[in-house]
Formats: sequence, C-alpha cells, structure tokens
Amino acid sequence: MTTILLGPQRFTVTARAALRSLGVEGAVATVNAGWEEREGEDRELDSVLDGRTLNLRLHARMADVLAKDPDVAAAAYAFGEQRDTLVALYELRLRHALAAAYSVQHRIARHGDPTGAAAAALEESVRTVRTVDRWYLAELAELHRRREEQAPPSQSEVVAWHRGEVAADLASCRVVVLTGGNVATLLTALRLFDVRLPEHVPVIAWSAGAMVLTGKVVLFHDYAPQGDSDASVWDRGLGRLPDLLLLPHATRRLRLDDKARMSVLARRFRKRQAVLLDDGARLRIDADGQLPQEARVVTLAGTVRKGQHR
Amino acid sequence: MTKLAINRLKERRPLDAESVDRFVARYGSPIVEGERATFLYRGEADEVHVRHRVVGLPDPLRMRRVGASDLWAVTTVLPVGSRVEYQVETVRGSTVVRFNDPLNTRLAHGPFGASSVCASEGYAVPEWALPDPEARAGEMVDLVVPSKALGRDQPVQVYLPARFQSAQRYPLLVVHDGGDYLAYAALRTVLDNLIHRLDMAPVVAAFLTPKDRLVEYANHAPHSRFVARELRPYLTERLPLREGPQGCCLMGASFGGIASLAAAVRYPDAVGSLLLQSASLVFTDIGHDHGGGPAFDPVVKFVNRFRAAPSAPVDRLFMSCGIYEPLITPNRSMAPVFRSAGMDVLSVEARDGHNWENWRDRLRDGLSWLFPGAQKFVYE
Repeated sequence: MTTILLGPQRFTVTARAALRSLGVEGAVATVNAGWEEREGEDRELDSVLDGRTLNLRLHARMADVLAKDPDVAAAAYAFGEQRDTLVALYELRLRHALAAAYSVQHRIARHGDPTGAAAAALEESVRTVRTVDRWYLAELAELHRRREEQAPPSQSEVVAWHRGEVAADLASCRVVVLTGGNVATLLTALRLFDVRLPEHVPVIAWSAGAMVLTGKVVLFHDYAPQGDSDASVWDRGLGRLPDLLLLPHATRRLRLDDKARMSVLARRFRKRQAVLLDDGARLRIDADGQLPQEARVVTLAGTVRKGQHR
Repeated sequence: MTKLAINRLKERRPLDAESVDRFVARYGSPIVEGERATFLYRGEADEVHVRHRVVGLPDPLRMRRVGASDLWAVTTVLPVGSRVEYQVETVRGSTVVRFNDPLNTRLAHGPFGASSVCASEGYAVPEWALPDPEARAGEMVDLVVPSKALGRDQPVQVYLPARFQSAQRYPLLVVHDGGDYLAYAALRTVLDNLIHRLDMAPVVAAFLTPKDRLVEYANHAPHSRFVARELRPYLTERLPLREGPQGCCLMGASFGGIASLAAAVRYPDAVGSLLLQSASLVFTDIGHDHGGGPAFDPVVKFVNRFRAAPSAPVDRLFMSCGIYEPLITPNRSMAPVFRSAGMDVLSVEARDGHNWENWRDRLRDGLSWLFPGAQKFVYE
C-alpha cells in the first residue's frame, strides 16, 4: 500500500513529480469534490497529472442525488441539523476542557512543578479533552447509524446508480488522487458513494484530500477571523493512515511557536503522529506505514522536529 | 521627542499670514502625530471649539488662537487605533455655529448628517468593508410583510447571499435599523465580502426600518411579536430558512440592540443568538434618575427588570461598544450579567464612539463568531 502525501499545491506543484515517481501507467482517478461547485474546473489538474485523469465527479453526483431523491435529501438536511446541534455542544465542552488544560499549563510555567502534581493535573486535563472527543465521535456515529437506518442510501436507486459508476471508474484506474478543498464536503461525498480505496492502488493526496485518509479528521485554524478556534474532531476518516494526524498549511494555520498549545494538541492525539504538510512537503508511506525521516512532526513537548517522535 | 508641528509654527518669527497659509496647506486638520491630534480652524471668531462625544475628553474642547493670526488650534491625546467623530463650533457674539471641519475632507455619514473624522495612527477602514470586485454580490429583494402586531404593512428588504440555492437551509439575520446599516455601515458589502472569504456562513438577512423608532425599539411588545411571530414565519414560508431558535439571530445598534434583546427575552423559542452594538443597556441601581430622558424610561425599566432576574434567552450573544461613548459603562456591566445567566458571550471594545462606522468595523468580529464560515473546513 503506497500513499504519497503532499503539501498544498497552489504555489508549489509537486503532484506531477509524485505521480511520475510511482512509475505506474494508466488512468488516474481524481477526487476533487472538496472544490464543490468548481469541481468541473479541473483542466489544470488534468494537465499537472499528465492528462491521464478520470474525474469521479462526486460533488456533481451528490447534487444530482439531492435533486432526484427527496428521501435522501430530507435525511441529509435532518442529519445536518442534528449534527450542528451536536457540534455546538461538543465545541462548548471542548472549549472548557481545553481551557482547563491551558490553565494548568500556565500555572506550571509560572510556578514550576516541584511535586509533580501539576504534571499529573495536566495529563488528567488532556485526558478529559480526549474524553470529550470520544463522546462527540460516539454521538456522531449514532447519528450516522440512525440516518442509515431511516433512509439507507444503499436503497436509493439514484445513489446505487452513481455508486456503480464510481466503482467502475475506480476499478479502471491505476492511481487515485485526492485534492484539497472543503474537507467536510469531500468526506460526505466519499461516504455517500461508499468510495473505498483499494490497498493495492497508490494514492496521492494533499490538504483536505490527505486529511480524509486518516482515522480522525481534525479541523484546526488558530487564525480564524472569529479568533482562536480550538482544534476539533470532525468525523472519522477513511482510515487508510490511521496513525497519522495530518496538518496541512500548518505554518499558515497553526501557532507553531506556541509550544504549550502545540504540546496539548500532540498529547491530545498522542496515539497519532501529528505531521505538518506545508508547501513543498512530499512524504511517501509504503506498506510498513513508516513516516520518512524528512517528515516534520509535532513532538509531545510542542516542538517541531523531523522524523518520528512519540 | 520631536516637537509638534503646531509648536514649531508658534515659534516661527514672523508668524505672518503666508506662514499660516503654508502650514494649513501642508498639514490640513487634524494633524496626527504619534498619540497626539491637533485640530485647526482658520477664521475670525470670539471662540472656537471642537465638539465631540468622547467620554474622558473635555467637550467642548476649546481652541486657542495661534499668536495674533486667525489660526486656532488645540492639541489633545489620541491613543493609537482611535477614531473620533467631531465638528467645529464657532462663537461670534451670541451666534453659535457648528459645522464639519473645513480643513478635513474625511467625513462619516449617519442618519442625522455627516461628521468630520479624526483617525489616529493604527486605524484603517477594514478592507473587508470596502467593495471587492472578487466578491460575488448577494441579491436584495423588497417584500412587504402584513403585520397585525404593528397594525400596518411593514416593508422589509431581504438579502439573499450569492449562490443562493433553494435546496440549502440558511440562518436568518434580522437587522434593526436595516436601512441605516445598509447606508452607513456598508452591511451589504460586508456580507458579500465575509461570505465570499468564508469568514462567515451564508445567511439570509432581513433589514427592518422602524416607523417610530424610539417607541418600537424601546422594549415594545408589538414589535417583538412582529419579529418573532409574523416576520420569521412569513419569511420561512417563502425562503429556505433553518428552523428552530438556532436558525435566527437578531441584531441592532443602540435602541436597535434593545429591540433585539427584548424580542429574544419575550420569544426565546424563536431566537438563538444576538448581535448587539452599543446597545442602550442603561439601568439604575437605585432610584429612577438615569439621565437619558423620557425615551429611555421603558428601556431602563426593561434593563432593570432583566438585571433583577437575568435569563438566558439565547445561546450566543455578541456585544460590541466604543470605549469613548457613555454606553461603555452599562455595556461592560451587562456582559457579566449575560454570562452568569448562562449565555455564551463575546464582548468586543474599540477606541471609537457611538456611530455607524464603529458598528461597521466590528461586524466581522460578530458575524464570523455567530455564523462561522467554512474557513475551518477548507484546506486547499
């Protein structure tokens, strides 16, 4: 199983070199549903990928389903409303849980920790944050389950037809490329059409496309217009790279110099390697799942280093 | 420390008309130097004042004649990031005249006319408040909503965001003093830009213009009923709006803030969030002497009642206020009251006053917090 993760492609295009490095001939399936209504504007993408692309058009298919199948559409809207309510509750809990962790951290910075009690308090605070994350994912899984039960997409003729086409297109391709864009839209489309990425097919992905390959899709933006925005779990990903937490545009979106904050992030997702995917990044991960040495990861201390760091 | 330009002029000998001409032509008014602003006026008068409403500075701010010339000047402190609206006042005998600073071309507009603007270092009009050719414009639709509560047909201007799709569900933003927000706070441009930049989620906005503002916006039951029980259902029948209280936000400035809060308090089942700008949250701790005049009587009664038994009519409340306006004290006092009642409150202050440009400049803070855009989701 080969996966190549790239940095954002807007200013530093490395996708062509990555594709050629695979040495694989044949068609390249592209998934750029994250571009939403611009999904069809993919000529440049096709050109970068040597004119070999077959766009799965998942966003257009999703719009078609919503227009033609009122049951699926109604279920999607209902799910969206329920999810919004859940996310509001999650963010409320998360903010307070993270605030506690940061407060303990500030106290350690000011007063030290002669007895070790503060370190234990910090560990426990971060554990609470993990509990909140787990609670959210469990509730979300229940929402997904109920939605599947009430209006199973598999029973929709329109969905079934598209799924058949997507599966056939995928089967005809030798490489899959997932681009950046809106990660929520991309994930929704992949889920609706039950897109599975065969292990033997190499995948090249960047930005949102890379994030959906992980076990948990984590959103982050320390410079959002509404101020600090805590990193939050959005949903389960496709699980192709279950041990990674991928952070595209890390330099632009994260306060990497705030070691305390970065340390909480790394500790919170300590079972995963937090990997920065900035411009120019190119990481090839093969069957052994090992990150290459040039990978820049966030350590538990909140620093950024190259190589694997637990 | 470099001498102020006006002090250098005062030292000039001879201080003749030509020197003053050159000085005024070079600097205009006001002259902003570091944290100092010097206001100028040229002409004959018995007295000349700068009139403003900045709490903490003397008003009127008396100008002094520079030497024996016809130039008048006064220097005051103006911290970085400040923005002050003012006028010049001349006194000749018993005649007092107030007008915009003839030496300053920078004006701010409002429903009661224009004022001159003094912006200190560090202040800039936010670029997201200026027209952006890249941003796709939303559409304005004129509707008339029949209202039993108000006993009239109420005109409403409705903003539909760019790429409006009937298959989507949009939150509703109800804007009190909607005409003024459009005319003086560039709200349509701001919505276009913030939505385009993914700083805020697309919304449908309903712009209301009152008939008798001081009555209808001062905790007026019929107005609250109109908003919650007539306007929202009317729009929901015709537009793809989100249901439930979370789908509706009320906003307003000054008395419009009171109208928003009052409607939410009366109909918490219909409103999920509030955006209050320099809300007239005047209250008394004892007695009834609030100093706001009769128009404020129902407002003070309402705020006093709220303070006595705080409730949380909405989940999220954004409030902004200028620190140079008298309402900063009640606004600061109310933020903890709102919080302790259980609402999620974001309070923002600015070195500005009770005016539309202050409210414009705080819109991104409020709208992006209440309606977070897709930025967190987009990784190109």
